Amino acid sequence: MAYPTDVVGILGIWSALLLMLMIYSYPLYKENPFFRFAEHLFIGLALAIAVITAIQTTMRMAVTPVLGGDIVYVIPIILGFMMYFIFSSDYRWVSRYPIAILVGSAIGLGMRGVIIPNILTQIINTITFPKSTDFMSMFNFVYIALGTLFAVMYFLLTYEHKGAILYPTRLGRWLIMIGLGAYYGNTVLFRMSMLSGRAQYLLQVLRIIPM
Amino acid sequence: MSQGIWNRLQMIDRRIIYWVLFIILMIPFIRPLGLPVSITDQTRDLYNGIRSVKEGEVVVINISSGVSAWAECLPSLVASVKVLNQQKAKIIFWTSFVDGQLTYEAIVSKVPSFKERVYGTDYVYLGYYAGAETGVAQLAKDIRSVFTADYKGTPINQLPIMQNVNKAEDVKLVLSSDTGDVCDYYIRQWRVPYGVPVAEIGIAMIYSSYQPHYKAGILFGLSNGSRGGAELEKLVGELGDATTTMDAINSSHLLVIFCIVLANLGYLATRGKK
Repeated sequence: MAYPTDVVGILGIWSALLLMLMIYSYPLYKENPFFRFAEHLFIGLALAIAVITAIQTTMRMAVTPVLGGDIVYVIPIILGFMMYFIFSSDYRWVSRYPIAILVGSAIGLGMRGVIIPNILTQIINTITFPKSTDFMSMFNFVYIALGTLFAVMYFLLTYEHKGAILYPTRLGRWLIMIGLGAYYGNTVLFRMSMLSGRAQYLLQVLRIIPM
Repeated sequence: MSQGIWNRLQMIDRRIIYWVLFIILMIPFIRPLGLPVSITDQTRDLYNGIRSVKEGEVVVINISSGVSAWAECLPSLVASVKVLNQQKAKIIFWTSFVDGQLTYEAIVSKVPSFKERVYGTDYVYLGYYAGAETGVAQLAKDIRSVFTADYKGTPINQLPIMQNVNKAEDVKLVLSSDTGDVCDYYIRQWRVPYGVPVAEIGIAMIYSSYQPHYKAGILFGLSNGSRGGAELEKLVGELGDATTTMDAINSSHLLVIFCIVLANLGYLATRGKK
């Protein structure tokens, strides 16, 4: 992507930069009218894009086939309209039928693929001896096996955590905290990455680095 | 006296830290540090998986990451597509994000080899699909029931790339670029029932969630945000945005670690003295 040379392109990148700075004025300075303007503009635009995409998708996937004689697509259109009864206190019950179908089909579809990758394969992988016998592979094998056991024991809420299960459950809690720490660390990594993208964009628009 | 210093350090205005962070993030872009990036197994497996695609085989790239995740996902996508173009694979793009088209256009503009490839024959962008997991399941069974035309409005049956492609079995592998859990849908609806190999090109935040799937062999590869992108760029042999970004991220992490250590030292120094 090269630095734009046409007026529209230049206006586009400078508008994006100004809006970005308006948004960042909140954490870098304080809440102000420029931040609120950029925030509202962003929400409005995002909503508009979502609405247009939804209408286009409905037209493409349901209305056009019905107009072409594929009458079966009338059913999802009717179910879709029934959703809007959620806004009526008297007829809210009508919206429960499409929601029930939606939830039921999603659970049904999800369930057929959950057992193998999320349960069976994970159990097999946890208890399978590693192919490599180097130190890190063995450490990971023992750590994951014991970690799974102790973390599950922590959720034995029908027994008081004392006696024989006192230390395993305490260790399980520590392991869960380490796991959550790793999740949080990755979240920080993601946020920094997003911020670095914006820092790079700022330098590119100012022509300090090439675009 | 020392207690006063620690107290003052703990009361630094957070805006000062944000400013310092923003400036630190910018420095490596102006003067790259060139910190080394080692290749992890999951990225190497992803690269080898893409390398194994033969000429004419069809690869689906699911874009479920928006513009906000470009810093994380775009470099990996660009590097992967460069390899797929080298392999002369046929690429089908589609998206579950309303701004997915911008990501598709960014990929095409950043991969010069697309100039030698023909739209509609070698690659195609089919557009947006709704319905989340239901939509993904339907795509596995019958692509034409979800997409009747590409994003330009060309009927799908007139696209040469789609002539013998209509279901999961016709696809060699799926690369899913996510900021959420859409890769789970492909695991459940493409990988498990049809055995289509799936790889994840995700943001760092979801890396930990997909690591067990990679370790268990459910995913054939996994790219961890910018880090994964930098690794792929190194494997492809064309250093790009992710490699530079990694310098910036590493610098910012040093600041974060410094702040955490300082805050804890301050806490320990002032504990019980208030």
